[in-house]
Amino acid sequence: MNSNKFFNVSRFYLLLRNDLLINYKKYLLTIAGGFILGFIFIYMYMPSQMYSDANYKLDGSRYRYFFAIYLVGLGAFVGSAFSELSSKIKISNYLLIPGSTFEKYLCQFVIRAVVGTAIFLFIFWVDTHIARIAVLSHLKNNLGQLAGPEKYNYIEKFRYSMLLVKSNYPTITYWRSFDGIGVVLVIFSIGMFLFSVKIFFRKLGLIKTGISLVAALYLLMVSMICFSYLFYPETKGFNTADINYLLSNGYNNNDIFLYSIGYLAPLFLLPLGYFKLKEKEL
Amino acid sequence: MINIQNLSFHYKKKSPLFNDFSLEVESGRIVGLLGKNGAGKSTLLHLISGLIQPKSGKINVNGFVPFDRNPNYLADIYMVPEEFAFPSISISTYVKAFSPLYPNFDHHKLYDFFSEFELQPSSSLNKLSHGQRKKFLIAFALSTNCKMLVFDEPTNGLDIPSKSQFRKILVSSVTEEQLVIISTHQVKDIDTVIDKVVVIENGKIIYQENIDEITQKLYFDLVPSLTGVENVLYHEQCPLGQKIIVPAAGGNESSIDLELLFNAIINKTI
Repeated sequence: MNSNKFFNVSRFYLLLRNDLLINYKKYLLTIAGGFILGFIFIYMYMPSQMYSDANYKLDGSRYRYFFAIYLVGLGAFVGSAFSELSSKIKISNYLLIPGSTFEKYLCQFVIRAVVGTAIFLFIFWVDTHIARIAVLSHLKNNLGQLAGPEKYNYIEKFRYSMLLVKSNYPTITYWRSFDGIGVVLVIFSIGMFLFSVKIFFRKLGLIKTGISLVAALYLLMVSMICFSYLFYPETKGFNTADINYLLSNGYNNNDIFLYSIGYLAPLFLLPLGYFKLKEKEL
Repeated sequence: MINIQNLSFHYKKKSPLFNDFSLEVESGRIVGLLGKNGAGKSTLLHLISGLIQPKSGKINVNGFVPFDRNPNYLADIYMVPEEFAFPSISISTYVKAFSPLYPNFDHHKLYDFFSEFELQPSSSLNKLSHGQRKKFLIAFALSTNCKMLVFDEPTNGLDIPSKSQFRKILVSSVTEEQLVIISTHQVKDIDTVIDKVVVIENGKIIYQENIDEITQKLYFDLVPSLTGVENVLYHEQCPLGQKIIVPAAGGNESSIDLELLFNAIINKTI
């Protein structure tokens, strides 16, 4: 089999170069815009005064909230992949660019998902640190005076490990090992769904994605009701049999069910998007 | 070389556009693909380019199946579509981004065409007029030196001097290894450059002939009136009299009037 038909390093480099030459202004503006808007957002939601109540401290839980909002921005960037497929006129140009479907798919994946995510993580890290420094410079204590050295503990320095630690919940001091991976994979799944939106839907991609997500959840619910009726005849109405049992490793059956969906979805969505692109017609 | 055998194609929920369609064209030719609106010209170009997949039958272009979109095939075919869109970049950035993807790209040729068409590399593509953008695309297409060049209505939007420039650079640029297909309604714009005519109607080839064979068989003339003129195959009134097609006799050859020939074919008098 001729592998050159699927992947060639120099051709892939040329495709990457092609994308960057065409879109570099758009990317730079997105990075600058994300950086500034992100900084303003975090700065606005950081405390301007110290309170004695520990609940007002800025720690991992608040950073997780900031991060979730940032993820929407990353989702929008990832969702803008394959923008050429949104217009019939641009599709022919795109499909006829000399490169294999795999290279074109990988090129978008590398730029939007890999590099985009790396830059996003960097922007978030920088924004949190700059916003913290900016807020600390004028943070006041509960007497209305400029705060002393204790302010450095009041607004914690952001670390990515904070996102995986439930420090606000005393009963659970750390996430179970699969929880962190599960969250990352669920985010990855949603990202991959957004990544391939334009391949599946030419117009109104985000709305159609929303509708198909709702449809998928509805189908899941209907199938659960059907299984409930099948295996638990006492089920009534639209209820599902609530069978909840704890496994030996701290997980219950519902965790395993949801994580299975979260883990498997990206494995399914990535090749599906590729084959859909391969079969794409004008 | 294009080899199409027993091609069938229809768009979703539409009646068949091509049914058992076959066509063979050798390299080294500039083919005029003519037909009325809706005859299937653009669809045929899309099938040849690999933008759509035939429902049945085989298409082979230079040894490749177009819809496989083999990168080596894509590096050797360039299509100038009727409608196009450019990113918001300058001509020189576009050339820098796309030319390396075509291994036989000739930059000298491109800059010669730019001089011919009076295009500035520093100009922003989206600030050019439609005609200027089309001229850029034509210049870029010819500079790729692809073995297969496909032009869909290339002279639409070009002013009169640009149409003759297009003909000039096309003839000077194309080599024996290349095959050029030009689909157009504006048959007069290409009658001096093509060397084969293919006319399709309702998804079928109703006429295909090389230009030299046409001029050996048919004689195109302008006469004040039809009085005394025998064996007229087709005629059309014009301000100076009648444009006629008669069988060529005694080795007489004339310049081909492609529009007249096309109308004669469509009216089934030839």
